[in-house]
Amino acid sequence: MPELIKVRPTKIELVKLKRRLSLAQRVQKIVKDRLSILTMEFLQTARDTLQAKNRLRDASSRLYRALSIAAGYHGYIAMGKELTATETDLKVVAGSRNIAGVRIPSFQLTGDGKSMKGYSLADTSSWLDRAAQLSEECLKAAVELAELQRNFELLAMEINRTKRITNALEYVVIPGLQATIGYLNMKFEERDREEKARLKRVKVLVARG
Amino acid sequence: MPGSLQNEAKQSPYERMLQECVRGELRIVNAGLPRNQERLSVLLNEQYPRVPCHDGSSHLFKKAELEYLASILDPDEQKALALPMLIELGPDQAEAAIICEGTAEEKIVSRTLDMPVTCEERRIRIYRPQLALLRRKLKTTTVYVFSPKIVG
Repeated sequence: MPELIKVRPTKIELVKLKRRLSLAQRVQKIVKDRLSILTMEFLQTARDTLQAKNRLRDASSRLYRALSIAAGYHGYIAMGKELTATETDLKVVAGSRNIAGVRIPSFQLTGDGKSMKGYSLADTSSWLDRAAQLSEECLKAAVELAELQRNFELLAMEINRTKRITNALEYVVIPGLQATIGYLNMKFEERDREEKARLKRVKVLVARG
Repeated sequence: MPGSLQNEAKQSPYERMLQECVRGELRIVNAGLPRNQERLSVLLNEQYPRVPCHDGSSHLFKKAELEYLASILDPDEQKALALPMLIELGPDQAEAAIICEGTAEEKIVSRTLDMPVTCEERRIRIYRPQLALLRRKLKTTTVYVFSPKIVG
């Protein structure tokens, strides 16, 4: 049962309430539309996050296998010596984009497709090349997952907030206004009926004389 | 008298709050709109392709997406395509419209959705499931616009 708003039973209040109701319905329409878009994006992000997680896990497992083989082939010390030359600064370009009012981060690993190999190709085997290639894949997957995971969290928070607003409008504000408008209408009809009855009574009294 | 009553009604805290809520929601949803659109051919040559937004932030494009668009379009169409593409959400919740200036948008949407689409009154109308497919492939090259018609 919606709670009635405490107002004076006057026509002015009724007009005000009707205006409030139309406003509340407009807000509800925007919020609902936004919620549907956010939900759609959230589900898509959830699917993408899952795929990115699987990709990262696969790439990591293949990388460790390749690295183990390379370490077995070259020996840890020799491989470590070669790999010190491969250290490069990684650059991740961070920006943002907006999904229906939610600002979400966007990361991009620069130098996509460029090899990060800095070791001597003559002194190393193809096992190490394979490990380097897989580590690049791993890095890309990690950056992608970081972006998706954050998007996932931000979208979920915004959906929660928007849902609270929608529920408040749908179950509290709008029903309350509708019930109050209905109550005032009934009150005015009742007043009209009373007035008619009173006039009839007065007419009878006047007629009696 | 009616004028003063109207003013009183407008100034009531309850209505002010709702009015502010409408304004706030529209402001929030459309805050990320780009201040201007940039041509694909220009963005392809930039190191960090981005456009400024109304809220002072900048919208970053993913290079992979730009390259995907470039692979679909010929050089003339690349010069014609303005990015980000705007997806207008109207009062009909089942539909969305992609605002298009020429045939480039039509070609992209058609290729991405793998179905023929037509542009009517500078709008390509698609359904929500198709919108999800489109957004899946073109995350940074499309943005949502909440049309004021929603609140009309």
